[in-house]
Amino acid sequence: MSVSAKEVAHVAALAELAVSEAELPALTAQLNRIVGFVAQLAELGEPGAAEPYVAGPEAARLRADEVRPAALARPPAAIAPEFVDGFFVVPKLGGMEQP
Amino acid sequence: MSAAEVARATCARLAVADSRGLNATLAWSDAALLAEAARVDALPPGGALREVPIALKDNIVTTEQPTTCGSRILEGYVSPFNATVVERLRAAGALIACKANLDEFAMGSSTEHSAYGRVRHPLALDRVPGGSSGGSAALVAADVVPAAIGSETGGSVRQPASFCGVVGVKPSYGRVSRYGLVAFGSSLDCVSVLGKTVAEAERVLAVIAGLDPRDATTVDLPPLVPEPAPLSLAGVTIGLPREYFPADLHPGVRAACDLAVARLRDLGARIVEVSLPHSKYAVPTYYIIAPAEAAANLARYDGARYGARATVDGDVRALYRATRGQGFGPEVRRRILVGTYVLSAGYYDAYYGRAQAARSRIADDFRRAFASGVDLLFTPTTPTPAFKAGEKTGDPVAMYLADIFVCPVNLAGLPALSLPLARSEGLPVGGQLIARHFEEARMLALAATLERHLDPAAEARP
Repeated sequence: MSVSAKEVAHVAALAELAVSEAELPALTAQLNRIVGFVAQLAELGEPGAAEPYVAGPEAARLRADEVRPAALARPPAAIAPEFVDGFFVVPKLGGMEQP
Repeated sequence: MSAAEVARATCARLAVADSRGLNATLAWSDAALLAEAARVDALPPGGALREVPIALKDNIVTTEQPTTCGSRILEGYVSPFNATVVERLRAAGALIACKANLDEFAMGSSTEHSAYGRVRHPLALDRVPGGSSGGSAALVAADVVPAAIGSETGGSVRQPASFCGVVGVKPSYGRVSRYGLVAFGSSLDCVSVLGKTVAEAERVLAVIAGLDPRDATTVDLPPLVPEPAPLSLAGVTIGLPREYFPADLHPGVRAACDLAVARLRDLGARIVEVSLPHSKYAVPTYYIIAPAEAAANLARYDGARYGARATVDGDVRALYRATRGQGFGPEVRRRILVGTYVLSAGYYDAYYGRAQAARSRIADDFRRAFASGVDLLFTPTTPTPAFKAGEKTGDPVAMYLADIFVCPVNLAGLPALSLPLARSEGLPVGGQLIARHFEEARMLALAATLERHLDPAAEARP
């Protein structure tokens, strides 16, 4: 299964990652190398309905549903690129529905 | 020595390491270390790590120094909270010596993928120290600190420990809190330890291990109490998985492993051959699961709330794309793209579904081996000694295969360690011991026994 430059550009858009036209050929070749390598898992046959393997405890512990604010050494305003009146400021939304 | 004297001596060693061009440190200062010393002096007497300087991989957050993850996208970021491991180290009297360089977001096997330049191997500057915890390993190997904190997602502590000739311990998944460890692959990530000796690494691990209400994956177990190293290994069965000793194994690595197996036998251990037939699928399995989880975890770096922000003239998506496109380096970009691809509609079953099934089989192999009566598994840690800088950067898959013997353990969530066995053409060679879930104490005790009977500075001749 090979990945086309068009698919790489599409995946980059899904991942919200700017990729220039100039970078696309090399990136496509690298992705094909990686995807071609991991495709060897097909040798193991169809996975069926394999349960995801969980390395940790079998059951998640539940804790009381209490608000326990962490003690922060500095407020969001100190680490945000732009922060005004309690809000993180970003440019206007624009065409969010366009891939 | 007083804490201030320890701090000053550590600063002097850090300065020497920097002047040698190791590039193993990202942030440290005389003032910060002296402040650490003053803090330790104010503690009540005692503390398991009192006045021990410890380096921290720079994907573990601290409120005093920047946390960069070796990435431009976190330039200027200083965390508003400390990681749990930092709190525990400090409560035990340790001094945080510095933040250590790493592959960007812990993605790499050579520490060549840091936005702040590659780390050099302390014994051979033209070679890599391994990765992604290459800065931490180089600082321990260069005697700057006796121990360091690293992290593993697919072998990122044991592999550099092997390359640099130090001890690297990856605990069971769930043994150490990840609160404050910057997330990469959440079903795999483990805070891990590097030390000059098994005892040194164990001392640090005992302090940082334990349940943390802030990390739901930590397991409530009795404290990890170091066990004395036995004088003999009589009654201990060591399994050698045949798939980990392939015909094309580097002759120096094979010679070092043969020597270690002979020592284990001399010490009274029973050596048996076992099979882990699905381990050969561990690297492809890992390079589906880890990028898939990374693509999700790294979605948070978008220039909106913290870290670097690109200057763009456009809407919010243009801001995201430009910030991420400029902020992430090539390996991180590749993994985000692979992860997004394998999770996308139409490919999920063919890649992610298969990887989940393969992961279960890899873990089942380990379970069967241990159920057959094997106490520990012994393997080489890496297929070769440290390779030259630039040797594998042109082919991502060649780089990934450097982790072939270490990453099966991460997929299964088991504890394992690498300890220096011998040298090959002057370069350290490490051997790996793998144990059952949560049997770290016994694994470390048996490793300490083997360690006493090895000469890691001696050349292993094929």
